[in-house]
Amino acid sequence: MMTQSWSGIRKAAQGAATLGLMLVSTSALAQQCSEYTQAPMLNDAVANGALPALASRLPQAPLVSDGVNGTGSYGGQMVSHYGGTRIGDFRSYGYEPLVRWSPDGGEVMPNIAESWSVSDDATTYTFNLRPGMKWSDGEDFNAQDIVFWWEHVETNADINPKGPRKMFVVNGEAATVTALDDYTIEFKWSSPNGVFLLDMASPYGQRVVQFAEHYHSQFIKGLNPEGVAQMMEEAGASDYTQWWIGRVGTYGQNAEYYDPARPSIHAWVPTDSPAGKERFTFERNAYYWKVDSDCNQLPYIDVRSFVLSSDPEVALLRVIQGEIDLSPRNVSTPPNRAVFFDNKERGDYRLVTANSCNYNNAQFMTSMSHPDPVKAEVFQNKDFRIGLSLGMDREAVIDAVYLGQGEPYQIGARPESPFYDEDLARQFTEFDPELAAEHLDKILPMGADGMRVGPDGKPFEFTVHINQGFRPDWVDMMQIISANWAELGLKVVLDVHSDEIGQARRADPDREIFLWVGENGCGQFPVVNLERFTNLGGYANWDNWDAWYAKSLDASFEPADGVTPMEPPANVTRMFEIRDEIPLRTADAQTALMDEFNSIAADEFITFGVALPGGGYRSVSNRLQNVPDTLLEGWLYPGPSPVDFATFWIKE
Amino acid sequence: MGQFMIKRALLMIPTMVAISFVAFLIITLPPGDFVDRIAATAAQDGDRMTDAEISALREAYGLNRPLLVQYADWVWGMVSRGDFGTSFFYSLPVDQLIWDRLGLTSLLSILTLVFIWIVAIPIGIYSAVRKYSLGDYVFTFFGFIGLAVPNFLLALALLYISFRYLGLSVGGLFSPEYIDAPWSLAKFGDLMAHIWIPMIVLGTAGTAAVIRTIRANLLDELHRPYVTTARAKGMPEHRVLAKYPVRHALNPFVSSLNEIFVQIVSGSTIVSVVLGLQTTGPLLLEALKQEDMYLAATLIMFLGFMTVIGTLFSDILLAWLDPRIRRELSGGS
Repeated sequence: MMTQSWSGIRKAAQGAATLGLMLVSTSALAQQCSEYTQAPMLNDAVANGALPALASRLPQAPLVSDGVNGTGSYGGQMVSHYGGTRIGDFRSYGYEPLVRWSPDGGEVMPNIAESWSVSDDATTYTFNLRPGMKWSDGEDFNAQDIVFWWEHVETNADINPKGPRKMFVVNGEAATVTALDDYTIEFKWSSPNGVFLLDMASPYGQRVVQFAEHYHSQFIKGLNPEGVAQMMEEAGASDYTQWWIGRVGTYGQNAEYYDPARPSIHAWVPTDSPAGKERFTFERNAYYWKVDSDCNQLPYIDVRSFVLSSDPEVALLRVIQGEIDLSPRNVSTPPNRAVFFDNKERGDYRLVTANSCNYNNAQFMTSMSHPDPVKAEVFQNKDFRIGLSLGMDREAVIDAVYLGQGEPYQIGARPESPFYDEDLARQFTEFDPELAAEHLDKILPMGADGMRVGPDGKPFEFTVHINQGFRPDWVDMMQIISANWAELGLKVVLDVHSDEIGQARRADPDREIFLWVGENGCGQFPVVNLERFTNLGGYANWDNWDAWYAKSLDASFEPADGVTPMEPPANVTRMFEIRDEIPLRTADAQTALMDEFNSIAADEFITFGVALPGGGYRSVSNRLQNVPDTLLEGWLYPGPSPVDFATFWIKE
Repeated sequence: MGQFMIKRALLMIPTMVAISFVAFLIITLPPGDFVDRIAATAAQDGDRMTDAEISALREAYGLNRPLLVQYADWVWGMVSRGDFGTSFFYSLPVDQLIWDRLGLTSLLSILTLVFIWIVAIPIGIYSAVRKYSLGDYVFTFFGFIGLAVPNFLLALALLYISFRYLGLSVGGLFSPEYIDAPWSLAKFGDLMAHIWIPMIVLGTAGTAAVIRTIRANLLDELHRPYVTTARAKGMPEHRVLAKYPVRHALNPFVSSLNEIFVQIVSGSTIVSVVLGLQTTGPLLLEALKQEDMYLAATLIMFLGFMTVIGTLFSDILLAWLDPRIRRELSGGS
């Protein structure tokens, strides 16, 4: 069954590279099936010849995937919720990369790739595909499709003007992608790539298998100039890139799902374009390449419907009425737990635990490059940050805002992760106003009226920026924390802004303390996520430091307007270096680097947090079977889809 | 009269140009653009887009061009081939999106209007005729409650009541089974079963205003000499009322026709959002929040257009109805 033990399981690429060849084979049970069974809804089509027989639709060695409670029965419809933004949210729709995460997030497992091998020095990754596997339109799925994707989509300047995604680029060098034969594909660089398997199992890894050569060639300008020109003219489009985004779509753009004729390797495929619809359905893919250990072709469920509700209150009402089979993340929040509980009989659902991969509910990121020299001096002072952290009553926040779920925590990997560092995660989490005052006195002396003054003797105030649309709980949290800080003589200004201008706010050079959540802190994700433990790629204003570091790597780097490169403390430079170096190393070297990073981060204490998230839940309709009692949520681990929706079934 | 109409029609053109320019400008006022919204949504899922991806997307959508160039491009598209642009968010042509929703929006607005008139006009007349009676006070009281309670609050309360005590499926104008089904008697029945909540919510505020207006106008009229004369001549009371004073009291409704035009197409945005209705109001709100330029600008321009047309139409209708205005227009004599 499902466990959520992250620690001690390191069977990912890091281990693989040092061990050399690593072959993970599919279950031997697959070879034992002499005959497979298909869903009854397909029997007619096979009988009158519209569909080939099942044996020729499946690959020679289908992936064996079993539900958490065993084999299910065919039929039924699963209704999910769609919030109106990205359809391609694989966490609820489907997750089919070359390799996938295990349901507990501990190891990388085969998916479309039957097995893989990594060279000793981790420069070459070879994936073995499944002979006989087909796209949803019956055409072969093979290595040529992946080569096509690389040559004509990912590296195509017309479609991807800024080049391939950085997971495919090592030391500035893009991968060389070769089809060694029809069913073997190789990714190769001249330097080691220590995190490629992690990246391939993340949602970003799915792009590799989303383009069928036989279908998408017609949309590539270089391969089909007249056809493309005609299609563009019919659509009234003048720009190829923009037309591509609207017609074919790449990587999370909704257009990917608008074309029912587009071949897919997912368990359910659109029968009609969902564009602009309130409710759309995806139907079973007759060529799906997974079976259970009783030789039944998956998925069990015939149809998946998605119902649009852009307003969370309407979504909540729908869920507690029992219309939605698996509740969406945005309404399964601690404040709504009571409503969910009260309506269990009426809505005919049960509640399951949903553990988060997040390591903090709120991460306070102070500006290190503030234009005002007085503020810059205060923000860069460690005593200021320690004072703020010690002056926060985290227990009160947890009790009041998070219903007692969670524990006080700083910015570091989750306790279950192999990269957990006790110092980093727990230091300065006590509520100690006297000690806080001592630290604050060193940089912000107490003024005559009981309010602290800055190093220049003038009254000092600072702003905390809160995106209320994203996390309304931050507003409640800051009520308590501001009161705590006010008692220490600090003047805090709360900038509560709406979601719509969130992006503009985070680019504002005057931003002071910026709040965000701490994500991807479970399992091995911290390794590919180090920027979150620093300035989150620009959410915190470290512009001057970033510019200095970028210039040190490349002398021709031009800083943006208003940014003056400024050398950070030696420790911080080391943090940048580790962040860039880790992807190039393997296993043990990565562990050593992470340890170093953690101890520097603990010493410098640049960012601080409030609490480890806890108490997550989802509602699951009582008709829906094979849903584990504990789910995991996250992004790089795109929970809950790794538990494999194809193994769910409907019990009427 | 004809001259008046022509002059007004000609004046519409510069008005429309000005409206289109202002509409476009308004959309671009908030900081950031559509690509920023994509990046923000992605970030909230945990997917941080790199700056390179963001600027690539911006180029693809043409959002890095100067505003005037984008505006000129849009206007040229409208004028030369009737292309109102594409919605970035839906990846669909704007006119298709608006057209799809117009039917339901109009139906809901017309039903609401009919509801208001059917309820409010008789009550208004009754209130005027039986001034200060118990009935008058009771109706006025309920009318004001409807006016004072915010629409969305009423909507939420009715939604909850209908869920909890009536067991109806709520949220949207159709039950899940009927959303994409073709039109049939059953689907129409389902629509009627759902539409009463929006109708009541949107109607209650309107009825209060209508009741008071009718009551006040009618009261003015009932004291006129001609009413006394009619009564003296033995006319039955209901004919006295219906023949002249009520028609006079209805005058303000004709002159507010332009309001009605706008209402019909814009729908009531907040209530529609709360109730999950597929009308144009939420479409505009979402477009504005997402900075989906062409969709929002087209909708605003469309609303402006409806207002202009509505004003013209109501002026013409008023002129036709009211001889005093006709005389004024033809120069007075």
